[in-house]
Amino acid sequence: MNKKIKMLAVDSEEIILKSISRALKSDKSTEFIITTSTTSLDALKQIRENTFDLIILDLALPGMNGIEIFRRIKNIYPEIPIIIMSGFSFSGIHYNLGMDEIAVNETFSKAAGFLLKPFTTDEINTLVKNIVSKDI
Amino acid sequence: MTVHKKSESKVQRKLKYLSISTRVSILIGIIILTAMGALSILSLIKQKDDAINSICNNTGQLSSTIEKILRVSMLKNQRDEISLSISNIVDKEDIKSIRIINHKGEIKFSSVQSDINKDISHSGKLCISCHTQMPISSRSSFPNIKNFHHYRIDDKKSLVYYALPIYNAPECYTEECHAINIHDPDNGRNFSKVISGEKRQSFQGTSSGKKSLPISASGSTTFFAHDSSQKILGFIEIEVSIKKVISSIENTRRQLILLTVLFAVIASLIVYFSIRYLIGKPVKNIVSGTIRVAQGDFKHEIPPGKAELGILSESFNKMQKQLVLTQSQLIESEKLASVGKLADEVANEIKNPLTGILIFSESLLSEMQSGFNNNEHNIASTTKDLELIKQQALKIRESIKNILSLTKRKPPVFSSTDLSKIISMAVSVVEKFSNFRNIKVITTIQKQLPEIHADSNLMEQVFLNLLLLTSDSMSAGGIINISAGIFNNFLQIIFSSTGSGKRTDIAKKLTSEGFSKGLSDPEKEEISLAVCQNIIQMHGGKLEVNSERIGTFITIELPVDA
Repeated sequence: MNKKIKMLAVDSEEIILKSISRALKSDKSTEFIITTSTTSLDALKQIRENTFDLIILDLALPGMNGIEIFRRIKNIYPEIPIIIMSGFSFSGIHYNLGMDEIAVNETFSKAAGFLLKPFTTDEINTLVKNIVSKDI
Repeated sequence: MTVHKKSESKVQRKLKYLSISTRVSILIGIIILTAMGALSILSLIKQKDDAINSICNNTGQLSSTIEKILRVSMLKNQRDEISLSISNIVDKEDIKSIRIINHKGEIKFSSVQSDINKDISHSGKLCISCHTQMPISSRSSFPNIKNFHHYRIDDKKSLVYYALPIYNAPECYTEECHAINIHDPDNGRNFSKVISGEKRQSFQGTSSGKKSLPISASGSTTFFAHDSSQKILGFIEIEVSIKKVISSIENTRRQLILLTVLFAVIASLIVYFSIRYLIGKPVKNIVSGTIRVAQGDFKHEIPPGKAELGILSESFNKMQKQLVLTQSQLIESEKLASVGKLADEVANEIKNPLTGILIFSESLLSEMQSGFNNNEHNIASTTKDLELIKQQALKIRESIKNILSLTKRKPPVFSSTDLSKIISMAVSVVEKFSNFRNIKVITTIQKQLPEIHADSNLMEQVFLNLLLLTSDSMSAGGIINISAGIFNNFLQIIFSSTGSGKRTDIAKKLTSEGFSKGLSDPEKEEISLAVCQNIIQMHGGKLEVNSERIGTFITIELPVDA
């Protein structure tokens, strides 16, 4: 275990956060220090108070949707790679979020990767490994 | 204003007009009155003319008879006899008077004593009628007309005046009876002169003044009463009353008017009740049927009738069945559309536990394959993971159950339903949806809300649809208030949102125009609202939507005893 990655996982569902933790633990080559948030406000608070190497962000969050949080994080820490995660199909997600398609696509272009639920251990590990090896 | 209110007020306005049966019976009454009235007037005129003509003919015959009777007396110069006969014939009631007028226009005999010796040559209508184109002075020359007779009618006095000429005959100017024969030496002709009894004596005693009269062989001068050249010696004028005839015609007129009115009224009543029974009743059934169907009572069937209206009733019932079928298909398709949206949301809900199941089962599988070498994992943690997998699987089962309950095809079943439970259930379903993350739903339900007779699945569909529709215009989030309570004996449910009111024309979607547009170019919201309205109408209630800038207000009213 030679690498330490500080990561923030944001999702309103505890099971997703637990699943992310469990899946990433299977990668023995990297140590993931995972902080979790179930609300957008808590996520922003964690970002302000800590330094993260990677963020996994669900788009459907109560209070403030994932696109808004994504923009805010990118405004403050543009260098932090963010993986966008969603249960909706990415092609029609603007409809589910009630947002403009162009604005959503613009945000997506700045994302480090996409994770579509339900994902497997391999899928999340491969995606995270790729981003980590590339960006960090 | 809703479609229901509009159609109801239109129908009520139209029902204020007179019914078909009343209008047709009034028309028939007017036609009968006009036709029979015109026929009666023509008939009365003809009847009156015929009666008067008949009276005139009879009077003519009577005059002729009187002339024949009096001729002998006249030839014999029995003046008293003539006067007596005239008086006897006159009966005051029908034959008012009889007058004998000489060719000079002097009344010589009359049943009215005061008329005797009156000169009517200048004023009498009898004289004037023939002498208008002839100088009145030439009294010796009467019109040379064969079978001359004259009558005139005085409508005001109800009298007929008949004048029969007394034609000159040889015995009139050859008999010596009452005439004094005078010979005119200038032209060698005899002429006659009618004179009264007193004057006759003086005539006999003197000559005629200027003219020298020849002396007869007997030594006396002979005067003849009439000249042989005269055609008409005078007239017998009879005055006959036509009061009885006029009065009889008046009676007939009154009876005809009464009969005409009576007939018109009877005919109108027959027509009125016939139309009311044969047309009005079936039409009323059809009208009430259409109203009930318009109000959402799709089970109502019009009783079968006969002939054309029977065909119409049958067509209406067929159309209604087709409408029910189409409506159920529409509700079904709307349900499927809602399900599509729900499926998307539910899929998202399923994907979360599914992720957990996948990751944790993979983790357990991986550990099993490695033979549980690592001591970190003991039986307790494995049990915990399996428990988590089970919980997530149960979550998925719940979500699937929810979606299946909406897609189940079954006919409406009306039973006592607690709407507060249905509202709470609908709210709990939508609260999990992504677009409800920023929307707070507050429910204020009156305690002990009475149960209503309703189909719980359909009502659930209504509340889910309305919640989803309201949330569509609240992209920026907000509050949806749902209140339910009893108001004016109706169970009233009010949806009010504080959303941005993105679509301010939401109310228009409920108008008939919006609905018809929706059918030709179906938009989800239009159909969804129309379906909600139909379901509410099916329950005997009404649904009103008001969209304003500050949000949307949806009011549902359901009868408690529905």
